[in-house]
Amino acid sequence: MAGLATTFGSGAMTNSINEIEAAEVILVSGSNTTEAHPQVARRIYAAKDRGAKLIVIDPRRTAIARLADLHLALKPGSDIPLINGLMKVILDENLADDLFIELRTENFFALRDYLYRLDLAEVYRQTGVAPEELRRAALLYGRAGKAVICYCLGVTQHVCGTANVEVLANLAMLTGNVEKEDAGVDPLRGQNNVQGACDMGALPGMLPGYQPVTDPEARQRFAAAWGVEPPAWPGRTLLAMTHGREPDSGDGPVSKSDSPAAKPGGAGGADQPGQPDPASGIRALLIMGENPLLSDPDLNGVAENFRRLDFLAVSDIFLTETAAQADVVFPAACFAEKDGCFTNTERRVQLISRAVAPPGQAKSDLEIIAALSQQLGYPMDYQSAAEVMEEIALLTPIYGGIYHDRLAGGWGLQWPCWDRQHPGTPYLHKYYFTRGRGRFAVAEHQPPAESTDADYPLLLNTGRVYHHYHTGSMTRHSAILNRECRHPLLQINPADARARQIAGGEAVRLISRRGEVEFKAELSQQVPPGMVYGNFHFAEAPINQLTTTASDRRARCPEYKICAVRLEKAGGDEGRRP
Amino acid sequence: MSDQYLLSRDHLAPLLRRLAKEYRLVAPVRNDHGDTMFQEIANPVATVPDLESQPQNSLKDFLFPQQEHLYDYRLDDAGGYHFQPPATTTPPTLFFGVRPCDLNAVLYLDVVFLPGRRELSYRRRRENSLLIGLNCNQPFADCFCAAVNAGPFLEEGSDLQLTDLGRDFLVEVGRAGGAEIIRRWPHFFRSAPAEERNRRFQLYLEARGGFSRQVHADQAIKRLAADTLPSGVWEELATRCQDCNGCAYLCPTCTCFTIVDQPQDQHHGRRLRLWDACTATGFTAMAGGHNPVQPGKDKLRQRFRHKLELDVKKHGRPSCMGCGRCVGACFGGADILHFINLAGR
Ligand code: SF4
Ligand code: SF4
Repeated sequence: MAGLATTFGSGAMTNSINEIEAAEVILVSGSNTTEAHPQVARRIYAAKDRGAKLIVIDPRRTAIARLADLHLALKPGSDIPLINGLMKVILDENLADDLFIELRTENFFALRDYLYRLDLAEVYRQTGVAPEELRRAALLYGRAGKAVICYCLGVTQHVCGTANVEVLANLAMLTGNVEKEDAGVDPLRGQNNVQGACDMGALPGMLPGYQPVTDPEARQRFAAAWGVEPPAWPGRTLLAMTHGREPDSGDGPVSKSDSPAAKPGGAGGADQPGQPDPASGIRALLIMGENPLLSDPDLNGVAENFRRLDFLAVSDIFLTETAAQADVVFPAACFAEKDGCFTNTERRVQLISRAVAPPGQAKSDLEIIAALSQQLGYPMDYQSAAEVMEEIALLTPIYGGIYHDRLAGGWGLQWPCWDRQHPGTPYLHKYYFTRGRGRFAVAEHQPPAESTDADYPLLLNTGRVYHHYHTGSMTRHSAILNRECRHPLLQINPADARARQIAGGEAVRLISRRGEVEFKAELSQQVPPGMVYGNFHFAEAPINQLTTTASDRRARCPEYKICAVRLEKAGGDEGRRP
Repeated sequence: MSDQYLLSRDHLAPLLRRLAKEYRLVAPVRNDHGDTMFQEIANPVATVPDLESQPQNSLKDFLFPQQEHLYDYRLDDAGGYHFQPPATTTPPTLFFGVRPCDLNAVLYLDVVFLPGRRELSYRRRRENSLLIGLNCNQPFADCFCAAVNAGPFLEEGSDLQLTDLGRDFLVEVGRAGGAEIIRRWPHFFRSAPAEERNRRFQLYLEARGGFSRQVHADQAIKRLAADTLPSGVWEELATRCQDCNGCAYLCPTCTCFTIVDQPQDQHHGRRLRLWDACTATGFTAMAGGHNPVQPGKDKLRQRFRHKLELDVKKHGRPSCMGCGRCVGACFGGADILHFINLAGR
């Protein structure tokens, strides 16, 4: 998000999903596309059937990596030098799109000078990707007429996540692969409506439509509609709320001037009247549809912080691990039990209609929020979700032409959609970038926050499996999905398993500086030696007790993808039934 | 089919209205979202069947539903189960506008579920149903029924079989239920002159030429039987299949199921039968974790061998009816057409 916002001016997929099908070269980075985004993967398959070339960058040999023409199995956390290396080869081979760079971008010389000095031998040392492979990838991507980059959490969930995205954006701009159909840079959003949540201002420093809270004019517009002025300073980040403090960023402790609460931009700053001291603890939390007691890094820290709260309210469709700790639980309606909209990864706003009535006392999120607001002395009298949408259109320029009646009976509209006549926008940045010119940002290798040592000799990578979703609060209620994937598995390379005399199916204990968790071993060539891979769907093996809160300084996204661990047989438990 | 009549297009709606008084009427209906589905028509005056599009679901949804409530159970203190079948009623149902592939699929379900006396609910539903078929003058985009001898026209199996002649439908009488309809409501039908019967044949020939795909199913069937598939076919399909089970759920002839208990409280619960699919890795996994099917290598072998090899041996015909549903649904291009094409490589 933040990475694309700084370079292009807008943090969303620049293409539509079906454009991927027409690309000549597809570069997939840090995305287990087949398991996490099957609807995108099917376009990649279709593109391959039509002769497109596929490059996959991933430390693991995932299904999509097996399908690839070229799989670059980089060392975890070495995305920046790898992409820089690709760009250097492209530059050396004269494959850069000079006209595009000249007309549409800025700060190119800084990047060029940096790349001239870059030593490819050093890149090899940092990434583990052989120079010939790097060259092949660079030529493939650089020579393509239309190339698409798809990336996911494998790129962003690092201490250098924002910079990782920026270098991918650089690569696209260097070759002129943005601002046109079938070419672009596409962050794949993991949840049906995470794009919508961001669009609606579920970000610490943004009002709906990416209007910064620090912009007095934007605040005025909302104040006029709501009768109260929103705070002029950014709210806290997710980890600051769930851990009760700002997490460490990879490059040392956060200084006060670094914290997002004190970002420049006019009205920010701790001296703002009424602004709470960022160091002060949070006393009460309302959590909607999230399960931080399973999904957040360093779970012990979260649990400790929740115990310190005066009050915790949770709204969810099932009694999750987090809801079970709450003082008050609001039973919420699920997607099929309410009206409204979801905005998917390609910025497409789609209407959903209630198909069945919510069970028992469950209510839609809108009803829950409105009732709560009423109790707090601010009545919200929206008659329907459609009426809320009208307010969104009024206050959020990119949603300016999106109304329920326009969405009904079609496949929705892609923002930006400025007014009722606007047909929506299949791909972004046509003719000019949202921020004017695309900005090349130079980035250097930043090692992961935690590296291996004698005590913790392995790297742990976390992710998802196909059959479960997030913390399993929905999928683990399904008999068939549970049968497909019932046990928390840890993928271990057979060589690492042999060295520890671990057999497939055996119980193993994984230990990091923050905790220990038991899994069943799955010996797999999908992970390279030195790396293990697990998922976070299982409450009985809460892998996030191990992960670190070290996070990207700008986007505040934690480094879920790398932490140092040690692996042992779960002693004394042999023969115990799983 | 011997007796042939004409039914004027104008009289179709009144006929359905008449029949809906005696039967629960199920027919393809285009819904508000633009999808055509077989569904119950409560009010045939307000809802007209959509005979222009292929329904996304098949009659399997009705005869072998996705979720079947088998028993209510009670657990006694010693851990013993006591079962009680739920009270059910099976209304007589008339399925209207069934295409030849889907009708042949029902005949196949009969072969699976009717012999023996165990499948009582299927038998009850089937014995209480009438099938009015509709021949396909123009095959849909993904169809290949002709390649597996399941269409585009149906020779036998329905109660009444319609062919769209334009102003009229030609009505052929098949099984006893159809003759009964003609006997009870004769005023809707007039006997068909010879030239209209000849037009049926003409339309049939045109329909056979109307397929947009050339599908060499026999070759795949032969190669499966002789075990001479080109190498790498199963591996390629296994990498492409994304485990969604969509093909099996939509397929009118896929009949895998699983049985689960759904506890209501400590002592009571419901035993349900749910659709399942051999494309799911866990379907073949055994208790100890061993799996005779290696997901990375031969995940789709079961499905295609069952349809195009084992059923040919057992029943003399493939159990793929060429409806094309899995072709439109598959995420990865691992559908049966893709297999047939790979097998013919
Ligand atoms: S295998 Fe596919 S084409 Fe054949 S009957 Fe089943 S869904 Fe239709
Ligand atoms: S529809 Fe395709 S992807 Fe889904 S299970 Fe069937 S073969 Fe696999």
